[in-house]
Amino acid sequence: MLRYILKRLLIMILTLWIIITLTFVLMTSIPGSPFTSDQTSNETVQQNLEKHYNLDKPKYMQYLLYLKSIVTLDFGPSIKQPNQTVNDLLGRGFPISFELGIVTVIVAVISGITLGVLAALRHNGIIDYLAMGIAVLGISIPNFILATLLIQKLAVDWEIFPVATWASPMHMVLPVLALATGPMAIIARLTRSTMLEVLTQDYIKMARAKGLAPWKIIIKHALRNALMPVITIMGTLLAGILTGTFVIEQIFAIPGMGKYFVESINHRDYPVIMGTTVFYSAFLIIMLFLVDIAYGFVDPRIKVTKKEGE
Amino acid sequence: MKKLLFLLMAVFTIFVLAACTANENAGKSDETENKGNEPGDSKDVENGKVLKLNNGTEPTSLDPSIGFDAVSWDPLNNLMEGLTRLDSEHKAAEGVAEKWDISEDGLTYTFQIRENAKWSNGDPVVAKDFEYAWKYMLNPDTASPAAFLAYFIKGAEDYNSGDGSVDDVMVTAKDEKTLEVVLEQPTGFFLDVLTNPAFFPINHKVAEENPNWHAEADTFVGNGPFKLDSWKHDEEMVFVKNEHYWDVDSVKLDKVHFAMVNDSNTQYQMFQSGELDTASIPPELSDELINGDNVFIGPYGGLEFYRFNLTMEPFQNKKIRQAFSLAVNREDIAKYVVKNGVEPAYGFVSPGYTSPTGTDFREKNGDLVSYDPEKAKQLLEEGMKEEGYNELPPITLSYNTNDTNKAVAEALQNMFMDNLGVEVTLENQEWNVFSEAQKALELQFSRSSFINDYNDPVNFLESFITDSYMNRTGFSSKEYDELITKGKTETNEEKRWEALYEAERMLADEMIAIPIRYYNTVVLEADGVEGILRHPVGYFDLKYADKK
Repeated sequence: MLRYILKRLLIMILTLWIIITLTFVLMTSIPGSPFTSDQTSNETVQQNLEKHYNLDKPKYMQYLLYLKSIVTLDFGPSIKQPNQTVNDLLGRGFPISFELGIVTVIVAVISGITLGVLAALRHNGIIDYLAMGIAVLGISIPNFILATLLIQKLAVDWEIFPVATWASPMHMVLPVLALATGPMAIIARLTRSTMLEVLTQDYIKMARAKGLAPWKIIIKHALRNALMPVITIMGTLLAGILTGTFVIEQIFAIPGMGKYFVESINHRDYPVIMGTTVFYSAFLIIMLFLVDIAYGFVDPRIKVTKKEGE
Repeated sequence: MKKLLFLLMAVFTIFVLAACTANENAGKSDETENKGNEPGDSKDVENGKVLKLNNGTEPTSLDPSIGFDAVSWDPLNNLMEGLTRLDSEHKAAEGVAEKWDISEDGLTYTFQIRENAKWSNGDPVVAKDFEYAWKYMLNPDTASPAAFLAYFIKGAEDYNSGDGSVDDVMVTAKDEKTLEVVLEQPTGFFLDVLTNPAFFPINHKVAEENPNWHAEADTFVGNGPFKLDSWKHDEEMVFVKNEHYWDVDSVKLDKVHFAMVNDSNTQYQMFQSGELDTASIPPELSDELINGDNVFIGPYGGLEFYRFNLTMEPFQNKKIRQAFSLAVNREDIAKYVVKNGVEPAYGFVSPGYTSPTGTDFREKNGDLVSYDPEKAKQLLEEGMKEEGYNELPPITLSYNTNDTNKAVAEALQNMFMDNLGVEVTLENQEWNVFSEAQKALELQFSRSSFINDYNDPVNFLESFITDSYMNRTGFSSKEYDELITKGKTETNEEKRWEALYEAERMLADEMIAIPIRYYNTVVLEADGVEGILRHPVGYFDLKYADKK
């Protein structure tokens, strides 16, 4: 097991290095500089700015400087917000995005699985149609439309929740709803289809024949197997949601880190681009690794490591 | 079975962890919730007057030398004060400086700083604070984007470009309260330039001890009507009345909340639900809301225009350029395309600059461009004959990707087709890419905007002198350069303005750019909100603002 983890770790670092290099090449080959703004400017000022951020140095030097910043985990100051280091931005934004994300994932997983199981159990019944109707809506309505709709109805018209900003648990309800609907729908559909398949398996019939309690059959025997595809998508889902979402955070004025992914590129804020890329890819790689490990626990047929002598 | 147990435990741990983080945050949020809800509560009266505004985003920086954009200027202008401050007529009036002397030759300014001017930590504002701040801005290592504004000061440009020494920058604290500034050339609008936040003082004692004094609320020291009470980055800033401000009796508000909501729909919905006192109008709702009673519409010193590239065919020809300008129906663009109450531009300098004789620059110089399809066709023909064209070379009109820009570009495309019979290809690019190409003179005919930095027409007109960084047209004229030099350095104000009038007329006659429309400020204000001074040069002033 240890050897396996070490091997994976090495591959992870290699993957990360490739991502960093690719990002650097792509990032510096987009035309434009971080200092183009609507404001008046002049030649000297631009040169001073470039010098200040080491952008007057040759490309390979810049690359080495970035590598150094990554190894030392110090990405330096953001160009767009010079008082803040990239570490400040991520350190501030990530916990908020994480908080929003984890609640969203919990809501999405619980409601998604429940909907999926209910739909599978009442296959082709009213509950099935209802649940899948909700799921189709959830997949097809983009979350920003849902968000605006939720704000208009629940916040402006009925005044149940605050419109936006990030101050209390009440402020969390609308963004979580808007964000969770999509993943919930996907999970519901996945659970339903695998659940339907599992329920026709011989061992379920066997369990029924043995007279086990129906809920026990569903939870212990059927659901556990039906969860495989859900776990498969959990890695990417978690990495995507936990690191923040640009649109929802913008609409609800949530100070998470989602906006840095998009805005750093728009502003050519090179240190932030590198910082967010490294952070996100590292996060994603670790999540995928955890998913691989989780397979082993959920499905004994999958072995993450070959046992000796087997 | 063991594995199942492990799985259950893992799930359990995750849940406990999640619950813990939720609890932790719940505790934290409770406090902030109470805080956040105060202004909306009936406790309002007890807490005094609280204004809830939206800054859109986190300010770039509250370091006056670094924050060179509207999102930094609006907060800075209320947290700090320069030697001069724009008054209700948008003219430079006394700020921290009580009075000043200008030498006969217009070169030496001696400012007397108010005895009772104090920093929010109680320190007196001294001349040294200005000297420190300006030299810090000009230090090439500071890399201040605003530094070029200070090039009017003798020795400033050399120091900033790395050729000169800081000791040759002619800003000197003569004594505790007297600041002497020597300019490179007479500059009639220097007092206006000084209202820009880039020229705000920095408490040198604080800054020498902690160079990052401006990054957090508890270290921030200002000298304006308000002080920074709290600052949750990317989330909210709270200003409270600064009891040390020399004119604290004029300040009516007790507190100002700045939210950072960057979505035009959300901020409007917050305005509807009372979470904000002012809001902008979302573009989709413009027709519906623009004529309401609670709408403030005022000029915003800026122009949207299209640049010709004089180095590319067929725009080396003046008559062809003029023909394109005459084919543009600006009225229609302002009214039906851009909407939101904007004014069509028949000149380059936006309204709002009062001349020494008291008239508005725009009024005095009148309409310099017009809409005349007949004349446009005629000029196009003449121009083509001059160049020996049987057919006009293909023309591409470029703009940076944005819904409004696209709509305007399409309207222009139609007008050129209808009025000139010329087919223009449209091309849009992402802002940075576009901007780089425009600077490199790679675009033939491209969109531009200009926002004023200070309150003088020369700010815009100067862009088009030979080799200016802002020129981006390939235009070069000795005569024009001379007019601008005169417009900057002439000590007789009336003559200086004469030169600027002439420069603008020349720009229109040479037609190196087509003015389209002026920018404006459109703000929804809640009932009872009064006295917010919105200056055409960009930043607003809450000093006299009130909420009834």
